[in-house]
Amino acid sequence: MLGFLTARQAGVDDPLRLRRAESTRRVLSLKLNPDRDVDRIHGNGINTIDIEAVEGRYMLSGGADGVIVIYDLENYSRKLQYTCKAVCTVGRSSRYVHKFSVETVQWYPYDTGMFVSSSFDKTMKVWDTETLKPAEVFEFEGNVYSHHLSPIARKHSLIAVGTTDPKIQLCDLKSGSRIHVLQGHRAEILSVRWSPRYDHILATASADSKVKVWDVRRASGSLFTLDQHNGDKSKASSEAVNMAHNGRVNGLCFTADGLYLLTTGTDDRMRLWNSATGENTLVNYGKVCNESRKRLQFTVSRGCSPEFVFVPCGSSVAVYALHTGELVTMLRGHYNNVDCCEFHPDYQELYTGGKDCNILAWVPAPRAPDVEEESKSANQAAADLSSVNPAFQDAWSSDED
Amino acid sequence: MNRKRALISDAFKVKRFRNETQKFGAVSKGDGPTDIRSTLETLMTLFPRKLFNDSLPQIVMKHQLYSIHNDKTLVDKELNKLREQGELLMFQLGFDADAFGLVFSSDYKAKVLAGEDGRATRATVEKFLEKLPSPCTELSFSKDKMLKEFRFTDSEITQLVKSGVLTVRDAGSWWLSIPNSGKFTKYFIQGRKAVLNMVKKSKYSEVLKTELEERRTTSHVKFQMKYHIHDIVGAELVESIPTTSGTLLRCVDS
Repeated sequence: MLGFLTARQAGVDDPLRLRRAESTRRVLSLKLNPDRDVDRIHGNGINTIDIEAVEGRYMLSGGADGVIVIYDLENYSRKLQYTCKAVCTVGRSSRYVHKFSVETVQWYPYDTGMFVSSSFDKTMKVWDTETLKPAEVFEFEGNVYSHHLSPIARKHSLIAVGTTDPKIQLCDLKSGSRIHVLQGHRAEILSVRWSPRYDHILATASADSKVKVWDVRRASGSLFTLDQHNGDKSKASSEAVNMAHNGRVNGLCFTADGLYLLTTGTDDRMRLWNSATGENTLVNYGKVCNESRKRLQFTVSRGCSPEFVFVPCGSSVAVYALHTGELVTMLRGHYNNVDCCEFHPDYQELYTGGKDCNILAWVPAPRAPDVEEESKSANQAAADLSSVNPAFQDAWSSDED
Repeated sequence: MNRKRALISDAFKVKRFRNETQKFGAVSKGDGPTDIRSTLETLMTLFPRKLFNDSLPQIVMKHQLYSIHNDKTLVDKELNKLREQGELLMFQLGFDADAFGLVFSSDYKAKVLAGEDGRATRATVEKFLEKLPSPCTELSFSKDKMLKEFRFTDSEITQLVKSGVLTVRDAGSWWLSIPNSGKFTKYFIQGRKAVLNMVKKSKYSEVLKTELEERRTTSHVKFQMKYHIHDIVGAELVESIPTTSGTLLRCVDS
């Protein structure tokens, strides 16, 4: 690390390199920290988490009992030990709470004044955060598995919704209309995702083993369907044409730059695709255990040099290197199945939620103190009664020593 | 010191060891340049030739290589290179969508021709082997390919299926296959089940790899123990855990 610092100082390396190196080092040292906790509000499993994109301060979580909770992740208490407090809750006592489990929650990408939640009670609600009342309710004919708002769209405010119906519905936030429908799949839609690179590209995954990429501006069908054999007809059996997986496809995730798309399926495989051409990059991750009947929420790191994928595998989270496919480590800590995970890009922290009603925060392990620092802190401990983070301490001194 | 083009990930290869718990178990497979070809040859020596009276070429499963080398993507890439050079042939053996058998092409051609000695179908099989594109990257052939590109008649295709070089995949397409490999598949699946049961019946459903290698094999296990162990580890049917007394194989309960 000192090598990177001196190079940055001397101007030999780009400043971004040092930032990437430090982010990678932090992600490689993720583990559970006894000082970091998240308030336990949910009485049932947690199905989905979302961290807002603007400040990275507030986190939404949706539970299997229909409860939605908002947490404050920032630590302003000047103490090392911090529990992320729940700021407000849409609990069972609220008039507008979802009747059945909440499957997806997402903040409005531009500010935290609004968020959207969809649930197995066949509705999708657009909530006002201030009053915690739904400003708009969209009703559907089948269970809503997943919805997504484009994180970069300026020209449209469409919400893509995947339900048990094979048609993907696009609901417009501005007008409330839902006439735009994308047809092409043959079974229920388990996951939908907008591209973070282009605001008109949408990827959808379905239980018919297909993943289709759409341009919503076009009137005709999908742009292309992902094929795991890249068109090599000799490898698959002839009925299995153009399938992304050999089972239901239940997880979709774009990388942060939008150039690659990751998909997971119930055939216990994860595949990496080039999102522009739809080509399977054939990176072999091995067996990625997947038994989920609903959407699987997994995430990719941001700002690291080899990017990492965090996939929930049973009761632990598997961390893979994105382009080589090697398993870096397994994060164990949950008592039951992990359902969702979300990466906080500014602090390189991972939040995971599962059936054991806990949200765990995986924090990069702090550096071990040097020998000289240890003796100094032993002297200081006698002086200070509370252990204050040295970053908050006043380090200015009047004389030069 | 030329650090200018070094990857950031390389800088953390050493750091990772210091931050993580010590990797023990003395199972370092060597981080040197991965020589897939020599691994293939070592695995091929484990194949029992006497069992089939030398009529089958030596077959290695693709996932057995995953148990030796850590990087699966690299193994896949190297295998594709060997196939493109025309040295290796890959077969879809049929019992598992992911199980591919690998045979050296020279071996394959020699054994097939030796098996066809004195048979009526010899001429057609020879013709087929010659027509087979030298770097053969395909696992199956469709009917129009056979008729147009290779110019085989229907009766010739029937002869090829009879001799075992082609196996029916569905109406109008065929897998490339190894003649007389039915016995191999049968013994392979039998042996795999038997070895997995041995691991499952052990106390706590786990057994040290070295101990398993030394166990007496029942009559169901016709191949060498090591061959089966590479297979179950590579196919991830058991978890391979490094411990202070060596690698531990634990059953994956689903």
